[in-house]
Amino acid sequence: MEYLLEMKHVTKRFPGVVALNDVSIGLRKGEILAICGENGAGKSTLMKVLSGSYASHEYEGEIWVDGKKSDFTSVATAEHHGIEMVYQEMNMMLDASVAENIFVGHLPGRLGGVNYRKLYADTQTILTEIGLPIKPKAKVRGLNSGQLQMLSIMRAISRKPRIMVLDEPTSALTDQEVNLLMDHMQRLRDSGVSLLFITHKLEEIYRIADRVLVMRDGQVISCRNVAEVDQKSLIEEMVGRKIENLYPKKKAQIGDEVLKVEHLSVPHPTIKGKNIVEDFSFSLRQGEILGIGGLVGAGRSETLGAIFGQITNGVQMKLTAFGKEVAIRCPGDAIRAGIGFVTEERKKSGFVWVLSIRENITLASLPHLPGRYFIDRKVERRKAKGMSDRLRIKAPSIETRIVNLSGGNQQKVVLGKWLLEEPRILLIDEPTKGIDVGAKAEIYSIMSELTGTGVSIIMVSSDMPELVSMSDRCIVLSGGKLTGAFEGEAITQANVMRAAIAQ
Amino acid sequence: MKLKEFSKSLLARNELGTILPMALLLIVVGFVNPGFFAANNILDILRTASFAFIIAVPITFLMAGGGMDLSIGAATSFGGVICAFALKAGMPVSIAIMMALLGGALIGVFNGLIIVRFALPAFIATLGVQYAINGIIAITTKNLAISGFSSAFKVLGQGKLFGSISYPILYALVIGILGHVVLTRTKYGRSVLAIGGNAETAYLSGINVRGKQISIYIATSVFAALSGVLQAARFASAQPAAGSGTELTIMAAVIIGGTSMFGGTGTVFGSALGCILLATITNALIVMNVSTFWQNLIFGVILIAAIFIDKYRRRASGGE
Repeated sequence: MEYLLEMKHVTKRFPGVVALNDVSIGLRKGEILAICGENGAGKSTLMKVLSGSYASHEYEGEIWVDGKKSDFTSVATAEHHGIEMVYQEMNMMLDASVAENIFVGHLPGRLGGVNYRKLYADTQTILTEIGLPIKPKAKVRGLNSGQLQMLSIMRAISRKPRIMVLDEPTSALTDQEVNLLMDHMQRLRDSGVSLLFITHKLEEIYRIADRVLVMRDGQVISCRNVAEVDQKSLIEEMVGRKIENLYPKKKAQIGDEVLKVEHLSVPHPTIKGKNIVEDFSFSLRQGEILGIGGLVGAGRSETLGAIFGQITNGVQMKLTAFGKEVAIRCPGDAIRAGIGFVTEERKKSGFVWVLSIRENITLASLPHLPGRYFIDRKVERRKAKGMSDRLRIKAPSIETRIVNLSGGNQQKVVLGKWLLEEPRILLIDEPTKGIDVGAKAEIYSIMSELTGTGVSIIMVSSDMPELVSMSDRCIVLSGGKLTGAFEGEAITQANVMRAAIAQ
Repeated sequence: MKLKEFSKSLLARNELGTILPMALLLIVVGFVNPGFFAANNILDILRTASFAFIIAVPITFLMAGGGMDLSIGAATSFGGVICAFALKAGMPVSIAIMMALLGGALIGVFNGLIIVRFALPAFIATLGVQYAINGIIAITTKNLAISGFSSAFKVLGQGKLFGSISYPILYALVIGILGHVVLTRTKYGRSVLAIGGNAETAYLSGINVRGKQISIYIATSVFAALSGVLQAARFASAQPAAGSGTELTIMAAVIIGGTSMFGGTGTVFGSALGCILLATITNALIVMNVSTFWQNLIFGVILIAAIFIDKYRRRASGGE
């Protein structure tokens, strides 16, 4: 028996997407297997299959443990096999103690009572083993997010797993905590535990992994011994996708600088004392599409949010629009400065689902419709209809509720909402997320058309081909810092990826 | 085919929750006591509904905008009591009413600040305000009703147009029409619906979300105080507990009338139907000689049914 755990030909489909495509992975006893890949490569889906979050009938393929086929029907199956997951999002009982959080669900004691003496002693043992200077009785609320992440790792360790799956466990940790964690992962491996380690950080892969597996578009691209792989080929394997230029961008006339952002810092939303964007400066010229690349969590959406006034708490920046310095205290300030913002989450922050296409399209330009108090219905209908036709929104009428539209048409409505306001700068976060190929091409053509009329666009995108083919210029964020800037021919997938994993 | 489309469009109407039980009720009560349909009785029902509806109009805005307010009952009593004190102190009627409305506005400002500015949960915060206001009323009135008003004041609540239509019905009509126009025809009304539907999107579209929300809380308390003033005039006495318990029935009426308790949709017309339905039930029970103890049970059943319809409709139209 070569493998402790084996996934054989696993395919997981979602409507319209194949998240995992014939994936086979083998995990040996006592090894650290690193899994790396771009955003959306299928790593999270893989974790959900392994954890039993998807029952075996929801996907094709088999999972074998100890050389025997096992039917993963629920999370309990995974636990039964000694598989423990450590997720990026941490579920902690903030008002309970460190000890209670680590041993939750497995508290020592009998007849419903808890043996607190044993609980605290066992906790202290684990804490000492890892080398974390916190007390078993300490309240969890007072801990920082690095310590919380370590706690969720200890929770997994306390259950004495045979297999541990860790999803980017170091993203919230300080360097010192990373060292503690790496050391302990090595100790676990030496004691015979197998670890699946999802990470983007090449340094960590070379430091502790035995083998590295590259995923891309839901497929396994390669799986080799770390000693045999060099960095360059690893990056190429992560991004080596053929770019099909669905809609080549028309070259627009690039003009003068229209927007300058200097020394932008945005506090991390959950980690106190840490910035998610750190001293970031860039500029935008008229008629260009400036792409911002990077991995999820690099601070790209937060950059757009800060420019638009969605995020204001603790934000520091100097913003100059069309030669004038502008203070952004709320989205209204940004809108008045000629900026529009198509957010990543359409449903959450792009449209109002109870309203019709007409009401959504005119939402941002309500103040500019004629009339001080009353809505001139004729004008509103005409404007909404005009925009709907211009963007070729497919719906029975402009009175149709927006929830009844496809994702692509919803995205067009959100775009239309801003275009009606005639912005000179448009921020677009993941312009084609969750929409079909046909609508994608249409969105690209709209963007091209806009730049042709002198509108400037900042586009955040995790879709590599989109980023590479649509950007006139591309800057890359990693760990909140600017790590690359490319123009023209230098905008390649490999260049962007190298910069994205720089920090 | 036509009939099918008609029934479909009927089902899609938000006010459906009131029309069916109303029809049922009218049939039953008509059999038991045809005297129910006497013009006097109908006008009496409408007058009762008017006092609630005057508050239900701003509550429609409040709930469609995603808020709620449990202090309206206390604000109603507060308005009546302030007005009564002012009249007793010899102030002219117009000044006394202004003071009552100002008192209501203060409650609204306070509600708006703690809920919108300091983000306290509306349910608990306004419950606290309800207790505090009721406390102030009890302390100042020693829980005794205030009466002995001039007829110039009483006529506001007791007067009748053409000797048959009570003034409060007319006030309610005017306020209702205004409310309907503001909600459906103005930029303000559209903004309120957008905020209730998705506050984040509304904010990112440049709408002054907090300002709008605070303004609705103020309007709600002002209209509650106005209703209190009119009730004091109608009954020729300001009762310290005039509004207690009405906060829930009025919100129930608004929900029954098709305003979503999750925000985003609502009509003033529906709220009018909801208020009339509840007033009709009370009246019908009296006319049919049924103990009024049944009233709460029936209200409760209708409210739960209304929420079911609200929930079902949201799911059917793609929301969660």
